[in-house]
Amino acid sequence: MNGEGSLTLEAGLQQSWDILLDPNVLQKCIMGCNKLTQVEENKYKAELAIGIAAVKGKYESTIEIADIENLKSYKLIVKGEGGPGNVEATGVIHLEHQDENHTLLSYTYEAEVGGKVAMVGQRMLSGVAKLIIQDFFKKFGKELKNIEKSA
Amino acid sequence: MEKVIGQAVTRVEDGRLLTGQGKYIGDIGTPANTAHIAILRSTYPHAKIISIDTSEAMNLRGVKGIVTGKDILPYVQPFSVGVSAPVKYYPMAIDKVRYVGEPVAVVVAKNRYIAEDALEKIKVVYESLTPIVDIEKSLEEDAPLLHEHIGFNIANHRTFHYGKVDEAFEEADHIIKHKFHFPKYSATPVETYGMIAQYEESSNQYTIHANFHGPFVIQSVMAGALKIPSNRLRIIVPKDIGGSYGIKAGTFPYIVLCAVVSRIVGCPVKWIEDRQEHLSASSSGTDRVTYIEAAVKEDGKVLGLKMKLIDNVGAYIRAPEPACLYRTHANSTGAYDIPNLMIDAYAIMTNKLPTGLIRGYGGQELYFPLERIMQEIAHQLQLDPADVLRRNLIKKEQFPYQTASGGMYDSGDYEKGFELALDMGNYKEIEQKREDARQRGKLFGVGLACIVEPSGSNMGYITIALTPEERASSLPKSGCAEAATISMDPMGCVNVRISTTPSGQGHETVSAQIVSDVLGIPREQINVVAELDTSTSAWSIASGSYSSRFASLGSSAVFYAAHKVRKKLIKIAAYHLQADEDDLTIENGSIVSKKDPSIKYSLKRAAGSAHWNPLSLPDGMEPGIYETYYYTAKVAEPPDENDLVNSSVTYGFVADMVTVEVDPDTGEVQIIDYFTVHDAGKLLNPLIVDGQIYGGLVHGLGGAMYEELAYDDKGQFLTGSFMDYLCPTAPEIPNITIKHIETPSPLTPLGAKGLGEGNTMSAPAVIANAVNDALKPYGVMIDTLPLSPNRIWNLLNQAKEKKGANQV
Repeated sequence: MNGEGSLTLEAGLQQSWDILLDPNVLQKCIMGCNKLTQVEENKYKAELAIGIAAVKGKYESTIEIADIENLKSYKLIVKGEGGPGNVEATGVIHLEHQDENHTLLSYTYEAEVGGKVAMVGQRMLSGVAKLIIQDFFKKFGKELKNIEKSA
Repeated sequence: MEKVIGQAVTRVEDGRLLTGQGKYIGDIGTPANTAHIAILRSTYPHAKIISIDTSEAMNLRGVKGIVTGKDILPYVQPFSVGVSAPVKYYPMAIDKVRYVGEPVAVVVAKNRYIAEDALEKIKVVYESLTPIVDIEKSLEEDAPLLHEHIGFNIANHRTFHYGKVDEAFEEADHIIKHKFHFPKYSATPVETYGMIAQYEESSNQYTIHANFHGPFVIQSVMAGALKIPSNRLRIIVPKDIGGSYGIKAGTFPYIVLCAVVSRIVGCPVKWIEDRQEHLSASSSGTDRVTYIEAAVKEDGKVLGLKMKLIDNVGAYIRAPEPACLYRTHANSTGAYDIPNLMIDAYAIMTNKLPTGLIRGYGGQELYFPLERIMQEIAHQLQLDPADVLRRNLIKKEQFPYQTASGGMYDSGDYEKGFELALDMGNYKEIEQKREDARQRGKLFGVGLACIVEPSGSNMGYITIALTPEERASSLPKSGCAEAATISMDPMGCVNVRISTTPSGQGHETVSAQIVSDVLGIPREQINVVAELDTSTSAWSIASGSYSSRFASLGSSAVFYAAHKVRKKLIKIAAYHLQADEDDLTIENGSIVSKKDPSIKYSLKRAAGSAHWNPLSLPDGMEPGIYETYYYTAKVAEPPDENDLVNSSVTYGFVADMVTVEVDPDTGEVQIIDYFTVHDAGKLLNPLIVDGQIYGGLVHGLGGAMYEELAYDDKGQFLTGSFMDYLCPTAPEIPNITIKHIETPSPLTPLGAKGLGEGNTMSAPAVIANAVNDALKPYGVMIDTLPLSPNRIWNLLNQAKEKKGANQV
């Protein structure tokens, strides 16, 4: 399963970049993320609770940020393992300066699921993936505004 | 008293089933302290197990124990299998998982809820390996290996040459060939696998209650895996099994698993499989790629066939595989007189659920390419498909007919059956129907198929997997033994014990009919016991309800056992009446002289004296009335040194004509009519016969149109619920018209042949032929299944695009 998308962030490039890589922001924005702890530089452990179709459950995940090109792009590698099965997803996020207060974010992702999620949730998966991603950026946009306000 | 064999009498089983008094595995009680099992299954199709951490799960209140692959190793050895490839198949993954759903750990807990909760707390670390799911890619040199120590993914490979194949292909005017793919699909009994296992240390005995329908050849495989003498593995099958259709032979690895878990944890355990487990990890039919080539004369006469068969037996080859390749070996040329045959047969392993018995076993995989190529011959040579079939059908006067591969078709009148099917479907008027449909914007198609339905498997056929040299150095296998026991109590009442382990086929009813006719006792007064206990029942290695063996073999055992009782009763009466045994017969509860009906002796009295007054019996006669008969057919011989084998005992015939309409806009196929003619020899109970035919046909319809155990190309299983794995339900069942002809089998005492699998074998082929005929204007070739609207729509659109491109 794969997909892509883009949106405009209402912030400058530097600010967008910083906030995107802030683990506190990440935790708030990832749907069902109960806990996010850093294990090493650019590598986090997370507890995710996600329901896909009839398959609800907790995933113990690692989130890794790789291939960082400062202010330009990075890769997000998520591996989750849990009762309902396993998930492996890779997203590439690309930022582009538009003007002082606007940054274009484009992304592509590839995801593979295994176990029960694949068995009974396959039909909904692409929908759920879109939902999770859209939710992430919606929350992220909100965070960005909050930070701007408080700044 | 009127004879009841052949009468459409209602089933004795139905009273209890319809009033909730059936005794399924879930209805029988459990021993004290029975714990419940939940199984942790692999989410990876192919991976190394690095570690399993059960500590957190063990701490959950109510968990009694957790067993992993490493824990079972001291108590088990790999299951034996009938091929020379040294595949190590255990009931649970040891250090590597090879399919999604493979057991990795077992939780034993106070109840199922706790056991299921504990599963989520077990942490398994896997190292993912490259999976392989494609049949032909598994044969490539650089394909990922499932079993590294074997060095390739081939579990079995044999090549057979019968007749003069090369000459046939040289003489041919045309060689017509194609590659077909038959998908992996399942049988979905309402009742899933279920078992209660108990190990007793004092006697070193395992006692298992399981809805295991046989075959009992697997009892010794299980005892071998458990490393115990076979009489220390007692398997008790409940009175009722909620359907099997072959698939419940796959309970055997779970029986061994539950047995060992009971031993390790130290308490009886119960496991009822859930539907997801059933679809992903029970057993399934075998998916097959077939390359078929026909050497054909101008008039459509087939001179010879070449077939390359590649069966995908899943992650581990296990009993009774590679039987799917060979069950139909004797009838590889179907209903046709084709003396020259070459078969190149492979069984290969991929990262999918291991396969096993399923209704039709091997038949649907064989007839899909065979019947499709027969239609293709007609299309390419611009002949009427009915004429091509007529030209090739075995003629009445050729029976008993020996097939190229050694089959001995016992009886039949194929032309009569086929013409009847064409008449029923009004084949002559078919062009009118095509035109009517065209006017309504629909594509009309007609499909024909003639198939031979083998029944009563020869235990020797599976050894054809070995070369003649390999066979020579092992114990030969033959026969198809089945047993029945009939006893009479002091009041003259009859108990019949059968070992066919029915799973809904009405064996109790038919057994009572047979005994009633032989002993002259109303069938309602006869008690038939179908529960089976491997420690107390008369059974044979071949017993069980598979290969439609009841009508040909089970019924014969009952018939001859009843005759043993009859003979004893007549002997007792003759002794008391001072009459000649030959002059006596049984009528209305009495043993009567044929010459002088006033001379009679009551059955009750004869039975009573055998129990109450044994000293009054003729000299040398044993007291009591308890007779067991073991029946086997002489024609079930081992394969010979030329690989000729008669893989079944009796061979029935099915002729189908199906009409469909396809909606060119949506790709939806609607079956207008399904006409089917059966010849299963003498019918024992026409009511049960038609029920079996409907059931078999609907299973075949599922294979043709709806059902597939789908995996993605990474080996993930995608159809784990009835939302994703589509089975036909009542609204999907088309108009079905059944007719019978009866050419009795000369081999069985009642003239009966097995049935109930025929349309499971024929429906995928005949429906595909009908759809292909409908899509003929588009030049579409149907070579795989199921015929979902999606598949048809894509084929139509590809064809339209191609046409469009050509026009430009």
